[in-house]
Amino acid sequence: MHNLIEQAKGTVDQAELYWKRGHTISVEYENQRLQQITENDLSSVALRVIDDGKMGSTYAVSPNQEGLLAQATAAAAYGDPATFSFAPAADYPTVDVFSAETDALTSEDLVALCESVKAGIVKLRDDLPFFITADTESEELVIETTGGADAHSRSNRLFLGFGAPIKGAGMSVFKVKGSVSPFTRVDELIAEFAEWYGWTEKTSTPTTGRLPVIFSPGASFLYLLPLWAGVEGDAIEKKTSPLSDRVGEQILSERLSVIDDPLASTDPGSRSFDDEGTPCQRRAIVEKGILKGSLLDLRTAAALGQASTGNAVKRELFGSGTETKPNPWPINLTVAPGSVPYREMIAGLEEGLLVYYGMGFHSGNYPQGKFSVQAVGFHIKDGVVVGRLDRTMVAGDIYKDFKHVRAVSSERGRPLSFLGGLTPYVLVDSLQVAGA
Amino acid sequence: MKEKLAEVVGGLSADYADLRYEENRKTRISFRGKRLVEVASYETSGGHVRAYAGGGKAIASFSDPARAASMAKAVAASALIVGDKRDKPLRLAVAPTITESFPISSPRDVRTISLKEKLDLVAHYNETILREPTVATTEANYDEFVSRRVFVNSEGSVIEYDIVVANILGFIVTKKEEVLQRVRFAFGGDADFGRLQGRDADLARQIEIARRLPDAEPAKAGLFPVILDPSEAGLFIHEAFGHLSEADGLQNNPAFRAKLQLGTSLGREILNVTDDPLPPGLPGSYVIDDEGVRGVRTSLIAGGVLSGRMHSRETAAEFGEPLSGNMRAVDTHNTPVVRMSNIFIETGPHTFDEMVASIEDGYYLVGAKGGQTSGDQFTFGAQWGYKIENGRLGALVRDINMSGELFSTLQAISMIGDDISFGERGGCGKGSPPQFNRQSGKGAPHIRIDQVTIGGV
Repeated sequence: MHNLIEQAKGTVDQAELYWKRGHTISVEYENQRLQQITENDLSSVALRVIDDGKMGSTYAVSPNQEGLLAQATAAAAYGDPATFSFAPAADYPTVDVFSAETDALTSEDLVALCESVKAGIVKLRDDLPFFITADTESEELVIETTGGADAHSRSNRLFLGFGAPIKGAGMSVFKVKGSVSPFTRVDELIAEFAEWYGWTEKTSTPTTGRLPVIFSPGASFLYLLPLWAGVEGDAIEKKTSPLSDRVGEQILSERLSVIDDPLASTDPGSRSFDDEGTPCQRRAIVEKGILKGSLLDLRTAAALGQASTGNAVKRELFGSGTETKPNPWPINLTVAPGSVPYREMIAGLEEGLLVYYGMGFHSGNYPQGKFSVQAVGFHIKDGVVVGRLDRTMVAGDIYKDFKHVRAVSSERGRPLSFLGGLTPYVLVDSLQVAGA
Repeated sequence: MKEKLAEVVGGLSADYADLRYEENRKTRISFRGKRLVEVASYETSGGHVRAYAGGGKAIASFSDPARAASMAKAVAASALIVGDKRDKPLRLAVAPTITESFPISSPRDVRTISLKEKLDLVAHYNETILREPTVATTEANYDEFVSRRVFVNSEGSVIEYDIVVANILGFIVTKKEEVLQRVRFAFGGDADFGRLQGRDADLARQIEIARRLPDAEPAKAGLFPVILDPSEAGLFIHEAFGHLSEADGLQNNPAFRAKLQLGTSLGREILNVTDDPLPPGLPGSYVIDDEGVRGVRTSLIAGGVLSGRMHSRETAAEFGEPLSGNMRAVDTHNTPVVRMSNIFIETGPHTFDEMVASIEDGYYLVGAKGGQTSGDQFTFGAQWGYKIENGRLGALVRDINMSGELFSTLQAISMIGDDISFGERGGCGKGSPPQFNRQSGKGAPHIRIDQVTIGGV
């Protein structure tokens, strides 16, 4: 137990220490060339206290920084009455997210990984101004409370991303891979990248109207973020969520099951406790289209008379980190795979879209389940990809349109957002499409 | 401290090195509905070091000042690894050595105001919003960032400078049956607390729109001529064009570099776009950037023709163009990147009424609502709008997202108003991981665009 918590025991009603230390190395290639190596060595602390029944918080670089407890107590003098207690002592599940091999990776190792990716791309396409990024992260997280929570973790992650800007357009085609353990070969991903890049050589304009749309794993945030906004405790408490009091109802297609899976071993999104020191758990959010549960942190759980689901994350829609207060978020949100290879989905469409990203998501009315974005992806006609989309908007309402899902793929990948967990390709029966 | 830091960079075996050390105080007050979710005022510190060696570059951020020397050495070694792999060495444009301090002062400096006074002011605005019966919830925040920075480089520059920005900002969220709408409010933008006070009339206007919006019709999808208000036009020029004028984004993108040669015609003669950090009192104003280079006014589009762009020392050398002083880092965890200061469309010859009269079937889009851009593709929302029919403003509309392609859209700007204004609150996300810059100003008059894609829901 850190002496800050020991000291707090005699001074305030309750205290919670969050201390993160991280070492990251990042290697970036731009236009086929190694551009920059970044190495960060950062420490950050958040301290929350309840004093005289009121909540206060402060932040610092180190828990040994002078006056930290006094600073948090001073903030508590202005704070709202505390409506919950910090986490009690708990047994944490074991999650395998530490890798000594990843921990030992150097910038030279990451350069070697990027060089192998570079060689793989050049073999298939030597004409592209491609970019590659490899990052490794080693993190130690400590959460201790005066109530006895004593959570410690060490984790490692290795991420690789690569892509190239599309000729004649500003968008890129890109692929990502994340892992706890080191990896060296990504041939399949490079081959898929080259195939998709080939599809961008021509533009093709879809018919304006309602069309079937395939969401790739990269685009899954377009329906998962509205779903998050519907199941997170704050919106449920305020009754601004369109899903308030609808547990047990069919809200999506029976083909869709959405699971928060923090305990999946060796998954880079996994963890054994949340940012308040509550144990994480595997939970179905939507099972065969039926709403099963919500995401709660300590505060929203107390407000709703329930227990925290272990979903406190120091994140907001635009920003995250130690200086962000905990909010209810999924830890490792996944969508269960189906049985149809995504190429069969393409082959079965008379006309439709394959979308791998959407621009402008945050300016839509996502808290109500709606999205209206510029679709980044491909136009499908008579079962084949005929070109990339250009100036095409796709709009929908997940609680109407995602009730009609034709197929879910057997393959899964990761969304291009902080949601992070594995998701399949999802073919939605029809969405509003506005072509140029 | 600054002497020690200068020793660290001076003693490195690198062609060039610089180090920025920051002591930051952040104050945050947040209401969500009736709930005061946070009051925090706290200090953090840390450093960021960059080195160029053997034609390569490396960077590092660190929390513990005792690690400055060892991190700097590691960075110099990494720069050599980069240089070794490059057939084209990275170089820096020559910049003047500066040994000067640039403190900030303001008549009612936020640094002299008590936390209690700040809290009372935000609580007052929040309560005002909550009195409106259609309000479902609110977000009301006080956000203050005070940064004391020391910059040293291996060429002898030793610079001390301040950044002080305070904003009150948030959302008015109204709901009627199943329709939920969010309207923004934002005051402030610099070190003056006076700009945050007495803004009740401005807030009342936003509340009135938020009250009416759930009853409005959603925008219809399709291609339409539009008029953008100054807030929306400022966001458009920032998102769609401004980011492509930041040379670090172009540096490694041959297709766009070829497309964006200086002298290229981008729009009609009435179109003039400028980036200028020097006017006092705008959100993106500053004297010195985070690479130790003085900020200057840069003409980006003059008479419809591409006339300049924003640079770092590295990109200025690569493009053979003048330094502009646009390298900014949000805080010590981040390396500086090229970014806009205050970007704006200069005024034109048309009145607002002339623009409305020129449209038979279109929209008037009001209030920036965030946007996103990738290369020449842009998408952004408007908080609300009005239908324009037969040259007249019609009904209020909601749920508006517009998208397009930059180059054709710039050419489609056919009318520019005589009525420029700047947003008070800055804001821009860039980089990976994203750096959210409070100090990013945007301005414009009303503009007419002949055709954009509106995506209705």
